[in-house]
Amino acid sequence: MIYVIDHNDSFTHNVVHQFALFDKVDCDNYDKVSENKIKQASTIIFSPGPGNPRNYPITSKIYKKYKGKKRIIGICLGFQHILFCEGGKIVEQKKIYHGFQSKVKVTTNKSLFKKGKIFKVGRYHSLKLKEPFKSNNFEITMRCLNSKVAMAFENKKEKIYGFQFHPESFLTINGNLLIKKILSA
Amino acid sequence: MNRTNQLTKIHLSGKPYIIYKSQNGFDLYTDFSKKIILNNKNIKSFLTKKNKKQSTNTDLFIGFFGYELLNNLIDVKVPKQKNFNFPKGIFYKPEKKIKLSNKLNYDSKNFECGNFKININRKNYTKIFNRFKKKIKSGETYQIKICTKYKTKSKINPLDFFSRLSDTNLAPEAFMIKDNNYSIISCSPETLIIKKGGDISTKPIAGTVKKTKQLNKIKALNYFRKNLKETKEHNMIVDMERNDLSRICKVGSVKLSKQKIVEEYKDLFHYVSLITGKLKKNINNFEIIKSMMPGGSVIGCPKINTLNLLNNQEKENRNIYTGSFGYIKFNGDMRFNIIIRSILNFKNISEISVASGVVVDSNANHEFNENFLKAKALIDLFK
Repeated sequence: MIYVIDHNDSFTHNVVHQFALFDKVDCDNYDKVSENKIKQASTIIFSPGPGNPRNYPITSKIYKKYKGKKRIIGICLGFQHILFCEGGKIVEQKKIYHGFQSKVKVTTNKSLFKKGKIFKVGRYHSLKLKEPFKSNNFEITMRCLNSKVAMAFENKKEKIYGFQFHPESFLTINGNLLIKKILSA
Repeated sequence: MNRTNQLTKIHLSGKPYIIYKSQNGFDLYTDFSKKIILNNKNIKSFLTKKNKKQSTNTDLFIGFFGYELLNNLIDVKVPKQKNFNFPKGIFYKPEKKIKLSNKLNYDSKNFECGNFKININRKNYTKIFNRFKKKIKSGETYQIKICTKYKTKSKINPLDFFSRLSDTNLAPEAFMIKDNNYSIISCSPETLIIKKGGDISTKPIAGTVKKTKQLNKIKALNYFRKNLKETKEHNMIVDMERNDLSRICKVGSVKLSKQKIVEEYKDLFHYVSLITGKLKKNINNFEIIKSMMPGGSVIGCPKINTLNLLNNQEKENRNIYTGSFGYIKFNGDMRFNIIIRSILNFKNISEISVASGVVVDSNANHEFNENFLKAKALIDLFK
Protein backbone atom coordinates (compact mmCIF):
# COMPACT_ATOMS: atom_id res chain seq x y z
CA MET A 1 0.00 0.00 0.00
CA ILE A 2 1.12 3.53 -0.77
CA TYR A 3 0.23 6.15 1.83
CA VAL A 4 -0.02 9.72 0.55
CA ILE A 5 0.29 12.43 3.19
CA ASP A 6 -1.53 15.51 1.96
CA HIS A 7 -0.58 19.08 2.92
CA ASN A 8 -3.90 20.79 2.19
CA ASP A 9 -2.97 20.98 -1.47
CA SER A 10 -5.05 21.26 -4.63
CA PHE A 11 -2.91 18.81 -6.61
CA THR A 12 -2.65 15.89 -4.17
CA HIS A 13 -5.46 13.87 -5.69
CA ASN A 14 -3.73 13.95 -9.05
CA VAL A 15 -0.79 12.35 -7.22
CA VAL A 16 -3.16 9.79 -5.69
CA HIS A 17 -4.57 8.86 -9.11
CA GLN A 18 -1.11 8.59 -10.61
CA PHE A 19 0.23 6.24 -7.92
CA ALA A 20 -3.03 4.27 -7.95
CA LEU A 21 -2.06 3.06 -11.41
CA PHE A 22 0.61 0.94 -9.70
CA ASP A 23 -0.66 -0.02 -6.23
CA LYS A 24 -3.42 0.52 -3.70
CA VAL A 25 -3.28 4.10 -2.40
CA ASP A 26 -4.61 5.68 0.78
CA CYS A 27 -4.51 9.42 1.47
CA ASP A 28 -4.97 11.58 4.58
CA ASN A 29 -4.17 15.16 5.42
CA TYR A 30 -0.97 15.59 7.47
CA ASP A 31 -2.91 16.57 10.60
CA LYS A 32 -5.05 13.42 10.38
CA VAL A 33 -2.36 10.86 9.68
CA SER A 34 -2.98 7.33 10.96
CA GLU A 35 0.02 5.60 12.50
CA ASN A 36 -1.58 2.27 11.62
CA LYS A 37 -1.77 3.12 7.93
CA ILE A 38 1.86 4.26 7.92
CA LYS A 39 2.88 0.93 9.42
CA GLN A 40 0.99 -0.94 6.71
CA ALA A 41 2.41 1.16 3.89
CA SER A 42 5.40 0.08 1.83
CA THR A 43 5.81 3.59 0.44
CA ILE A 44 5.10 6.99 2.00
CA ILE A 45 4.52 10.03 -0.22
CA PHE A 46 4.84 13.62 0.97
CA SER A 47 2.46 15.66 -1.19
CA PRO A 48 2.90 19.11 -2.66
CA GLY A 49 1.43 22.00 -0.67
CA PRO A 50 1.60 25.68 0.20
CA GLY A 51 4.23 27.27 2.44
CA ASN A 52 7.57 26.16 3.76
CA PRO A 53 8.65 22.73 5.12
CA ARG A 54 9.23 24.30 8.55
CA ASN A 55 5.44 24.87 8.79
CA TYR A 56 4.87 21.11 8.94
CA PRO A 57 6.70 19.59 11.95
CA ILE A 58 4.42 16.53 11.93
CA THR A 59 5.73 15.58 8.50
CA SER A 60 9.34 16.01 9.69
CA LYS A 61 8.68 13.60 12.55
CA ILE A 62 7.26 11.00 10.18
CA TYR A 63 10.26 11.36 7.90
CA LYS A 64 12.79 10.91 10.68
CA LYS A 65 10.95 7.93 12.12
CA TYR A 66 10.60 6.00 8.86
CA LYS A 67 13.71 7.04 6.95
CA GLY A 68 15.50 3.91 5.74
CA LYS A 69 12.61 1.70 6.87
CA LYS A 70 10.18 2.48 4.05
CA ARG A 71 10.42 3.94 0.58
CA ILE A 72 9.76 7.68 0.86
CA ILE A 73 8.93 9.95 -2.06
CA GLY A 74 8.50 13.74 -1.90
CA ILE A 75 6.86 15.92 -4.52
CA CYS A 76 7.36 19.70 -4.68
CA LEU A 77 6.89 20.75 -1.02
CA GLY A 78 7.55 17.07 -0.20
CA PHE A 79 10.85 17.22 -2.11
CA GLN A 80 11.80 20.34 -0.16
CA HIS A 81 10.65 18.73 3.05
CA ILE A 82 12.99 15.76 2.77
CA LEU A 83 15.93 18.02 1.90
CA PHE A 84 15.00 20.32 4.80
CA CYS A 85 15.09 17.34 7.18
CA GLU A 86 18.50 16.46 5.72
CA GLY A 87 19.85 19.85 6.72
CA GLY A 88 19.20 21.64 3.42
CA LYS A 89 18.13 25.28 3.31
CA ILE A 90 14.90 26.06 1.44
CA VAL A 91 14.89 29.63 0.11
CA GLU A 92 12.84 31.96 -2.09
CA GLN A 93 13.91 32.14 -5.72
CA LYS A 94 14.00 35.25 -7.86
CA LYS A 95 12.10 33.81 -10.78
CA ILE A 96 8.99 31.92 -9.75
CA TYR A 97 7.49 29.03 -11.66
CA HIS A 98 3.76 28.41 -11.23
CA GLY A 99 1.96 26.49 -13.95
CA PHE A 100 5.11 26.57 -16.01
CA GLN A 101 6.36 23.84 -18.31
CA SER A 102 10.12 23.57 -18.49
CA LYS A 103 12.85 21.14 -19.46
CA VAL A 104 14.88 19.26 -16.88
CA LYS A 105 17.97 17.20 -17.56
CA VAL A 106 19.44 14.14 -15.84
CA THR A 107 22.86 15.41 -14.79
CA THR A 108 24.54 12.36 -13.28
CA ASN A 109 25.17 8.72 -14.13
CA LYS A 110 24.25 7.78 -10.55
CA SER A 111 20.55 8.17 -11.42
CA LEU A 112 17.90 5.57 -12.24
CA PHE A 113 17.42 7.62 -15.39
CA LYS A 114 19.91 7.89 -18.20
CA LYS A 115 22.40 10.75 -17.93
CA GLY A 116 21.64 13.50 -20.43
CA LYS A 117 17.97 12.56 -20.81
CA ILE A 118 15.63 15.55 -20.99
CA PHE A 119 12.07 15.60 -19.59
CA LYS A 120 9.34 18.20 -20.14
CA VAL A 121 7.78 18.84 -16.75
CA GLY A 122 5.18 21.01 -14.97
CA ARG A 123 6.38 23.25 -12.13
CA TYR A 124 4.59 24.98 -9.24
CA HIS A 125 7.20 26.21 -6.81
CA SER A 126 8.08 29.51 -5.17
CA LEU A 127 10.95 28.08 -3.12
CA LYS A 128 14.04 26.08 -4.01
CA LEU A 129 16.95 24.20 -2.48
CA LYS A 130 19.90 26.43 -1.60
CA GLU A 131 23.14 24.95 -2.82
CA PRO A 132 25.73 23.66 -2.19
CA PHE A 133 23.86 20.88 -0.43
CA LYS A 134 25.47 17.74 0.92
CA SER A 135 24.00 14.80 2.76
CA ASN A 136 25.03 11.16 2.99
CA ASN A 137 23.77 9.02 0.09
CA PHE A 138 21.77 11.90 -1.42
CA GLU A 139 22.46 12.81 -5.01
CA ILE A 140 20.90 15.67 -7.01
CA THR A 141 19.99 13.87 -10.23
CA MET A 142 18.04 16.37 -12.34
CA ARG A 143 18.34 20.10 -12.93
CA CYS A 144 16.40 22.76 -14.79
CA LEU A 145 18.02 23.10 -18.19
CA ASN A 146 18.00 26.92 -17.98
CA SER A 147 18.39 27.89 -14.33
CA LYS A 148 20.25 24.74 -13.12
CA VAL A 149 17.97 24.67 -10.04
CA ALA A 150 17.79 21.20 -8.41
CA MET A 151 14.78 19.32 -9.78
CA ALA A 152 15.19 15.76 -8.46
CA PHE A 153 17.22 13.79 -5.95
CA GLU A 154 17.75 10.11 -5.33
CA ASN A 155 18.99 8.21 -2.33
CA LYS A 156 19.09 4.73 -3.79
CA LYS A 157 20.54 3.12 -0.69
CA GLU A 158 17.64 4.13 1.55
CA LYS A 159 15.07 4.38 -1.26
CA ILE A 160 14.27 8.04 -0.81
CA TYR A 161 13.32 10.04 -3.89
CA GLY A 162 12.08 13.53 -4.62
CA PHE A 163 10.87 15.70 -7.47
CA GLN A 164 10.72 19.48 -7.30
CA PHE A 165 8.43 19.39 -10.34
CA HIS A 166 5.03 17.67 -10.54
CA PRO A 167 5.09 14.25 -12.26
CA GLU A 168 1.27 14.18 -11.93
CA SER A 169 0.67 17.49 -13.77
CA PHE A 170 -0.80 17.43 -17.26
CA LEU A 171 2.21 19.59 -18.14
CA THR A 172 4.60 16.70 -17.45
CA ILE A 173 5.15 14.39 -20.40
CA ASN A 174 5.55 10.71 -19.46
CA GLY A 175 5.10 11.38 -15.74
CA ASN A 176 3.78 7.85 -15.20
CA LEU A 177 7.07 6.38 -16.46
CA LEU A 178 9.05 8.38 -13.90
CA ILE A 179 6.87 7.04 -11.09
CA LYS A 180 6.95 3.48 -12.39
CA LYS A 181 10.73 3.50 -12.36
CA ILE A 182 11.19 4.74 -8.80
CA LEU A 183 8.48 2.39 -7.51
CA SER A 184 10.19 -0.62 -9.06
CA ALA A 185 13.71 0.44 -8.01
CA MET B 1 -50.97 32.95 -26.02
CA ASN B 2 -47.36 33.21 -27.10
CA ARG B 3 -44.48 32.42 -24.78
CA THR B 4 -43.32 35.97 -24.23
CA ASN B 5 -46.74 37.00 -23.11
CA GLN B 6 -46.71 34.09 -20.73
CA LEU B 7 -43.47 35.44 -19.25
CA THR B 8 -44.94 38.94 -18.88
CA LYS B 9 -48.01 37.47 -17.26
CA ILE B 10 -46.01 35.47 -14.73
CA HIS B 11 -43.89 38.51 -14.00
CA LEU B 12 -46.90 40.75 -13.46
CA SER B 13 -48.60 38.16 -11.25
CA GLY B 14 -45.89 38.90 -8.68
CA LYS B 15 -45.10 35.27 -7.91
CA PRO B 16 -41.47 34.17 -7.57
CA TYR B 17 -39.83 32.58 -10.61
CA ILE B 18 -36.42 31.57 -11.94
CA ILE B 19 -35.03 31.73 -15.48
CA TYR B 20 -32.01 29.60 -16.46
CA LYS B 21 -30.22 29.39 -19.81
CA SER B 22 -30.91 26.19 -21.70
CA GLN B 23 -29.29 24.95 -24.87
CA ASN B 24 -31.66 26.70 -27.28
CA GLY B 25 -33.22 29.39 -25.14
CA PHE B 26 -34.22 29.72 -21.51
CA ASP B 27 -36.21 27.58 -19.08
CA LEU B 28 -38.55 29.31 -16.69
CA TYR B 29 -39.41 27.63 -13.38
CA THR B 30 -42.26 28.80 -11.16
CA ASP B 31 -45.15 27.75 -8.88
CA PHE B 32 -42.74 26.86 -6.09
CA SER B 33 -44.22 24.33 -3.66
CA LYS B 34 -41.17 24.36 -1.34
CA LYS B 35 -38.53 26.90 -0.45
CA ILE B 36 -35.56 25.65 1.55
CA ILE B 37 -33.29 28.20 3.23
CA LEU B 38 -29.95 26.50 3.67
CA ASN B 39 -27.58 26.73 6.63
CA ASN B 40 -24.61 24.74 7.94
CA LYS B 41 -26.95 22.38 9.77
CA ASN B 42 -29.43 21.39 7.07
CA ILE B 43 -27.23 21.38 3.97
CA LYS B 44 -26.05 17.80 4.37
CA SER B 45 -29.54 16.38 4.77
CA PHE B 46 -30.72 18.50 1.85
CA LEU B 47 -28.02 17.03 -0.38
CA THR B 48 -28.31 13.42 0.72
CA LYS B 49 -32.09 13.11 1.04
CA LYS B 50 -33.75 11.01 -1.65
CA ASN B 51 -36.80 12.66 -3.20
CA LYS B 52 -39.72 10.73 -4.60
CA LYS B 53 -39.75 10.83 -8.38
CA GLN B 54 -42.94 11.95 -10.07
CA SER B 55 -41.32 11.62 -13.50
CA THR B 56 -42.17 15.14 -14.52
CA ASN B 57 -39.86 17.84 -15.83
CA THR B 58 -40.07 19.59 -12.48
CA ASP B 59 -38.53 16.73 -10.46
CA LEU B 60 -35.75 18.99 -9.23
CA PHE B 61 -34.57 21.61 -6.76
CA ILE B 62 -33.21 24.81 -8.25
CA GLY B 63 -31.38 27.56 -6.39
CA PHE B 64 -28.01 28.66 -5.11
CA PHE B 65 -25.27 28.12 -2.53
CA GLY B 66 -23.65 31.31 -1.22
CA TYR B 67 -19.89 31.65 -0.77
CA GLU B 68 -19.84 31.39 3.03
CA LEU B 69 -21.91 28.21 3.09
CA LEU B 70 -19.52 26.57 0.60
CA ASN B 71 -16.52 27.58 2.73
CA ASN B 72 -18.06 26.14 5.86
CA LEU B 73 -18.84 22.95 3.98
CA ILE B 74 -15.10 22.29 3.57
CA ASP B 75 -14.31 23.46 7.13
CA VAL B 76 -12.99 26.88 6.12
CA LYS B 77 -14.12 29.61 8.50
CA VAL B 78 -15.25 33.05 7.42
CA PRO B 79 -14.55 35.62 10.18
CA LYS B 80 -17.18 38.14 11.20
CA GLN B 81 -17.71 40.47 8.25
CA LYS B 82 -19.96 43.36 7.32
CA ASN B 83 -23.08 41.78 5.84
CA PHE B 84 -26.70 42.59 5.24
CA ASN B 85 -28.02 39.21 6.40
CA PHE B 86 -28.71 37.83 2.98
CA PRO B 87 -29.58 34.08 3.15
CA LYS B 88 -26.61 31.70 2.79
CA GLY B 89 -28.38 29.54 0.24
CA ILE B 90 -31.91 28.96 -1.06
CA PHE B 91 -33.43 26.15 -3.12
CA TYR B 92 -36.93 25.94 -4.62
CA LYS B 93 -39.11 23.06 -5.77
CA PRO B 94 -40.92 24.22 -8.90
CA GLU B 95 -44.21 22.74 -10.10
CA LYS B 96 -44.18 24.41 -13.49
CA LYS B 97 -41.55 24.69 -16.22
CA ILE B 98 -41.90 26.76 -19.39
CA LYS B 99 -39.53 26.92 -22.34
CA LEU B 100 -38.61 30.40 -23.58
CA SER B 101 -36.67 31.50 -26.63
CA ASN B 102 -33.42 33.47 -26.49
CA LYS B 103 -35.32 36.71 -27.12
CA LEU B 104 -37.15 37.61 -23.94
CA ASN B 105 -38.60 40.77 -25.50
CA TYR B 106 -39.58 42.42 -22.29
CA ASP B 107 -39.83 46.07 -23.02
CA SER B 108 -40.35 48.20 -20.00
CA LYS B 109 -37.28 50.14 -18.99
CA ASN B 110 -37.94 51.69 -15.65
CA PHE B 111 -35.68 51.98 -12.60
CA GLU B 112 -34.23 54.27 -9.97
CA CYS B 113 -30.64 54.24 -8.77
CA GLY B 114 -27.80 56.29 -7.33
CA ASN B 115 -24.13 56.23 -8.23
CA PHE B 116 -22.16 53.04 -7.78
CA LYS B 117 -19.48 53.21 -5.08
CA ILE B 118 -16.52 50.87 -4.92
CA ASN B 119 -15.55 49.33 -1.57
CA ILE B 120 -11.78 49.28 -2.16
CA ASN B 121 -10.10 52.20 -3.89
CA ARG B 122 -7.04 51.93 -6.11
CA LYS B 123 -4.63 52.75 -3.29
CA ASN B 124 -6.01 50.13 -0.93
CA TYR B 125 -6.29 47.61 -3.74
CA THR B 126 -2.59 48.05 -4.46
CA LYS B 127 -1.77 47.48 -0.78
CA ILE B 128 -3.72 44.22 -0.70
CA PHE B 129 -2.23 43.24 -4.04
CA ASN B 130 1.33 43.72 -2.78
CA ARG B 131 0.61 41.81 0.40
CA PHE B 132 -0.67 38.85 -1.63
CA LYS B 133 2.26 39.03 -3.99
CA LYS B 134 4.56 38.48 -1.01
CA LYS B 135 2.47 35.45 -0.08
CA ILE B 136 3.07 34.09 -3.58
CA LYS B 137 6.81 34.62 -3.25
CA SER B 138 6.85 32.71 0.02
CA GLY B 139 4.81 29.89 -1.52
CA GLU B 140 1.65 30.29 0.59
CA THR B 141 -0.51 30.69 -2.49
CA TYR B 142 0.21 30.35 -6.22
CA GLN B 143 -2.71 32.42 -7.46
CA ILE B 144 -5.30 34.50 -5.60
CA LYS B 145 -8.31 36.52 -6.75
CA ILE B 146 -8.99 39.86 -5.05
CA CYS B 147 -12.68 40.74 -4.91
CA THR B 148 -13.99 44.29 -5.18
CA LYS B 149 -17.60 45.36 -4.77
CA TYR B 150 -19.70 48.08 -6.38
CA LYS B 151 -22.90 49.13 -4.64
CA THR B 152 -25.72 51.61 -5.04
CA LYS B 153 -29.19 52.28 -3.71
CA SER B 154 -31.69 51.18 -6.33
CA LYS B 155 -35.20 50.16 -7.23
CA ILE B 156 -35.18 47.96 -10.29
CA ASN B 157 -37.32 45.55 -12.25
CA PRO B 158 -35.16 42.41 -12.57
CA LEU B 159 -36.87 41.15 -15.70
CA ASP B 160 -36.17 44.42 -17.47
CA PHE B 161 -32.49 44.14 -16.50
CA PHE B 162 -32.18 40.46 -17.36
CA SER B 163 -33.88 40.94 -20.70
CA ARG B 164 -31.56 43.80 -21.67
CA LEU B 165 -28.50 41.90 -20.40
CA SER B 166 -29.42 38.82 -22.44
CA ASP B 167 -29.85 40.95 -25.55
CA THR B 168 -26.24 42.10 -25.36
CA ASN B 169 -24.63 39.11 -23.68
CA LEU B 170 -26.21 35.70 -24.10
CA ALA B 171 -24.07 33.80 -21.58
CA PRO B 172 -24.24 29.99 -21.37
CA GLU B 173 -24.87 30.01 -17.61
CA ALA B 174 -27.11 33.08 -17.41
CA PHE B 175 -29.87 33.03 -14.83
CA MET B 176 -32.28 35.21 -12.96
CA ILE B 177 -34.10 34.71 -9.68
CA LYS B 178 -37.03 36.88 -8.72
CA ASP B 179 -38.38 36.30 -5.24
CA ASN B 180 -40.49 38.60 -3.07
CA ASN B 181 -37.63 40.16 -1.13
CA TYR B 182 -34.64 39.82 -3.47
CA SER B 183 -33.55 39.23 -7.05
CA ILE B 184 -30.40 38.05 -8.84
CA ILE B 185 -29.49 38.86 -12.43
CA SER B 186 -26.52 37.04 -13.89
CA CYS B 187 -24.70 36.52 -17.16
CA SER B 188 -22.29 33.91 -15.80
CA PRO B 189 -20.28 32.23 -18.54
CA GLU B 190 -18.83 29.45 -16.41
CA THR B 191 -20.07 25.89 -15.92
CA LEU B 192 -18.78 24.24 -12.75
CA ILE B 193 -20.55 20.87 -12.72
CA ILE B 194 -22.47 18.87 -15.25
CA LYS B 195 -23.38 15.49 -13.80
CA LYS B 196 -25.38 12.93 -15.76
CA GLY B 197 -25.56 9.43 -14.33
CA GLY B 198 -21.98 8.39 -13.62
CA ASP B 199 -20.43 11.06 -15.84
CA ILE B 200 -19.21 14.39 -14.55
CA SER B 201 -17.49 17.31 -16.20
CA THR B 202 -16.28 20.82 -15.42
CA LYS B 203 -15.36 23.62 -17.79
CA PRO B 204 -13.10 26.20 -16.18
CA ILE B 205 -12.48 29.56 -17.81
CA ALA B 206 -9.12 31.20 -17.23
CA GLY B 207 -8.30 33.94 -19.68
CA THR B 208 -10.52 36.57 -21.27
CA VAL B 209 -9.82 38.94 -24.13
CA LYS B 210 -12.05 41.61 -25.62
CA LYS B 211 -13.29 41.06 -29.16
CA THR B 212 -12.31 43.69 -31.70
CA LYS B 213 -12.56 44.00 -35.47
CA GLN B 214 -8.94 42.89 -35.78
CA LEU B 215 -9.11 40.09 -33.26
CA ASN B 216 -10.85 36.98 -34.62
CA LYS B 217 -11.00 33.53 -33.00
CA ILE B 218 -7.71 32.30 -34.46
CA LYS B 219 -5.89 35.45 -33.43
CA ALA B 220 -7.43 35.17 -29.97
CA LEU B 221 -6.00 31.65 -29.64
CA ASN B 222 -2.59 32.96 -30.68
CA TYR B 223 -2.89 35.77 -28.17
CA PHE B 224 -3.58 33.31 -25.34
CA ARG B 225 -0.84 30.90 -26.41
CA LYS B 226 1.78 33.62 -26.54
CA ASN B 227 0.67 35.25 -23.31
CA LEU B 228 2.73 33.44 -20.69
CA LYS B 229 0.79 34.86 -17.74
CA GLU B 230 -2.60 33.73 -19.09
CA THR B 231 -1.15 30.33 -19.99
CA LYS B 232 0.31 29.74 -16.55
CA GLU B 233 -2.90 30.84 -14.81
CA HIS B 234 -4.87 28.52 -17.02
CA ASN B 235 -2.52 25.53 -16.48
CA MET B 236 -2.83 25.92 -12.74
CA ILE B 237 -6.63 25.87 -12.89
CA VAL B 238 -6.60 22.78 -15.12
CA ASP B 239 -4.45 20.82 -12.66
CA MET B 240 -6.59 22.02 -9.75
CA GLU B 241 -9.84 20.96 -11.43
CA ARG B 242 -8.30 17.60 -12.35
CA ASN B 243 -7.51 17.27 -8.65
CA ASP B 244 -11.02 18.13 -7.50
CA LEU B 245 -12.53 15.61 -9.92
CA SER B 246 -9.97 12.97 -8.93
CA ARG B 247 -11.31 13.04 -5.36
CA ILE B 248 -14.64 11.65 -6.54
CA CYS B 249 -13.79 9.88 -9.82
CA LYS B 250 -12.46 6.45 -10.70
CA VAL B 251 -8.70 6.10 -11.06
CA GLY B 252 -7.63 6.72 -14.63
CA SER B 253 -10.98 8.20 -15.68
CA VAL B 254 -10.16 11.92 -15.29
CA LYS B 255 -9.37 13.26 -18.75
CA LEU B 256 -8.56 16.62 -20.21
CA SER B 257 -11.11 16.32 -23.03
CA LYS B 258 -10.62 19.79 -24.46
CA GLN B 259 -7.33 21.47 -23.74
CA LYS B 260 -7.10 25.24 -23.91
CA ILE B 261 -9.60 26.10 -26.61
CA VAL B 262 -11.13 29.49 -27.39
CA GLU B 263 -14.87 30.06 -27.07
CA GLU B 264 -16.43 33.03 -28.76
CA TYR B 265 -19.07 35.27 -27.17
CA LYS B 266 -20.71 38.44 -28.30
CA ASP B 267 -18.06 40.82 -26.96
CA LEU B 268 -15.21 38.59 -25.87
CA PHE B 269 -13.24 35.41 -26.19
CA HIS B 270 -12.68 32.99 -23.30
CA TYR B 271 -9.81 30.53 -22.86
CA VAL B 272 -11.50 27.31 -21.78
CA SER B 273 -10.72 23.67 -20.97
CA LEU B 274 -13.08 20.76 -20.48
CA ILE B 275 -12.24 18.10 -17.89
CA THR B 276 -14.33 14.95 -17.58
CA GLY B 277 -14.41 11.92 -15.31
CA LYS B 278 -16.41 8.87 -14.28
CA LEU B 279 -17.72 8.95 -10.73
CA LYS B 280 -16.66 6.30 -8.22
CA LYS B 281 -19.46 4.04 -7.07
CA ASN B 282 -21.44 5.25 -4.04
CA ILE B 283 -20.34 8.87 -4.31
CA ASN B 284 -23.29 11.09 -3.37
CA ASN B 285 -24.07 14.68 -4.36
CA PHE B 286 -22.95 15.99 -0.97
CA GLU B 287 -19.45 14.64 -1.61
CA ILE B 288 -19.43 15.98 -5.17
CA ILE B 289 -20.42 19.49 -4.06
CA LYS B 290 -17.82 19.39 -1.28
CA SER B 291 -15.02 18.44 -3.59
CA MET B 292 -15.89 20.85 -6.44
CA MET B 293 -17.12 23.97 -4.62
CA PRO B 294 -16.35 26.78 -4.32
CA GLY B 295 -15.13 26.58 -7.92
CA GLY B 296 -11.36 26.95 -7.96
CA SER B 297 -10.99 29.15 -11.03
CA VAL B 298 -12.53 32.14 -9.21
CA ILE B 299 -10.69 31.60 -5.91
CA GLY B 300 -7.09 30.76 -6.70
CA CYS B 301 -4.81 27.92 -5.81
CA PRO B 302 -4.27 25.91 -3.62
CA LYS B 303 -7.87 26.22 -2.54
CA ILE B 304 -7.87 25.92 1.27
CA ASN B 305 -4.92 28.18 2.01
CA THR B 306 -6.04 30.72 -0.57
CA LEU B 307 -9.57 30.83 0.86
CA ASN B 308 -8.11 31.46 4.31
CA LEU B 309 -5.95 34.30 3.00
CA LEU B 310 -8.96 35.85 1.23
CA ASN B 311 -11.31 35.49 4.18
CA ASN B 312 -8.89 37.12 6.59
CA GLN B 313 -8.47 40.00 4.17
CA GLU B 314 -12.05 40.70 3.10
CA LYS B 315 -14.14 43.02 5.27
CA GLU B 316 -17.47 42.39 3.55
CA ASN B 317 -19.38 39.17 3.01
CA ARG B 318 -19.28 37.92 -0.58
CA ASN B 319 -22.93 36.79 -0.34
CA ILE B 320 -23.70 35.01 -3.63
CA TYR B 321 -20.47 35.96 -5.38
CA THR B 322 -18.33 32.90 -6.29
CA GLY B 323 -21.06 30.67 -4.93
CA SER B 324 -22.95 28.39 -7.30
CA PHE B 325 -26.37 28.42 -8.91
CA GLY B 326 -28.02 25.43 -10.55
CA TYR B 327 -30.28 22.45 -10.07
CA ILE B 328 -30.30 18.96 -8.60
CA LYS B 329 -32.69 16.54 -10.23
CA PHE B 330 -34.43 13.84 -8.22
CA ASN B 331 -32.55 11.21 -10.27
CA GLY B 332 -29.27 12.69 -8.97
CA ASP B 333 -28.22 14.57 -12.10
CA MET B 334 -26.92 18.10 -11.53
CA ARG B 335 -25.93 21.26 -13.32
CA PHE B 336 -24.18 24.11 -11.51
CA ASN B 337 -22.43 27.29 -12.56
CA ILE B 338 -20.15 29.70 -10.76
CA ILE B 339 -21.92 32.90 -9.72
CA ILE B 340 -19.90 35.69 -11.30
CA ARG B 341 -20.96 38.70 -13.39
CA SER B 342 -24.09 39.06 -11.31
CA ILE B 343 -26.21 41.71 -9.65
CA LEU B 344 -27.70 40.97 -6.26
CA ASN B 345 -30.68 43.18 -5.36
CA PHE B 346 -31.67 43.09 -1.71
CA LYS B 347 -33.07 45.71 0.68
CA ASN B 348 -33.07 48.31 -2.12
CA ILE B 349 -29.36 47.92 -2.72
CA SER B 350 -27.79 46.59 -5.91
CA GLU B 351 -24.44 44.89 -5.43
CA ILE B 352 -21.95 43.81 -8.12
CA SER B 353 -18.79 41.90 -7.17
CA VAL B 354 -15.83 41.24 -9.43
CA ALA B 355 -12.39 39.72 -9.03
CA SER B 356 -9.24 39.20 -10.95
CA GLY B 357 -6.17 37.19 -10.31
CA VAL B 358 -2.87 37.94 -8.69
CA VAL B 359 -0.08 35.70 -9.94
CA VAL B 360 3.58 36.40 -9.63
CA ASP B 361 3.81 38.48 -12.80
CA SER B 362 0.56 40.45 -12.63
CA ASN B 363 0.36 44.19 -12.14
CA ALA B 364 -1.86 45.95 -9.60
CA ASN B 365 -2.99 48.76 -11.87
CA HIS B 366 -3.84 46.42 -14.69
CA GLU B 367 -5.86 44.07 -12.47
CA PHE B 368 -7.70 46.97 -10.81
CA ASN B 369 -8.72 48.23 -14.25
CA GLU B 370 -9.72 44.75 -15.36
CA ASN B 371 -11.98 44.49 -12.32
CA PHE B 372 -13.66 47.72 -13.33
CA LEU B 373 -14.11 46.50 -16.92
CA LYS B 374 -15.82 43.36 -15.68
CA ALA B 375 -18.19 45.41 -13.50
CA LYS B 376 -18.86 48.03 -16.16
CA ALA B 377 -20.90 45.71 -18.41
CA LEU B 378 -23.34 45.34 -15.52
CA ILE B 379 -23.15 48.92 -14.25
CA ASP B 380 -24.05 50.10 -17.77
CA LEU B 381 -27.46 48.48 -17.38
CA PHE B 382 -28.24 51.23 -14.87
CA LYS B 383 -28.05 53.87 -17.59
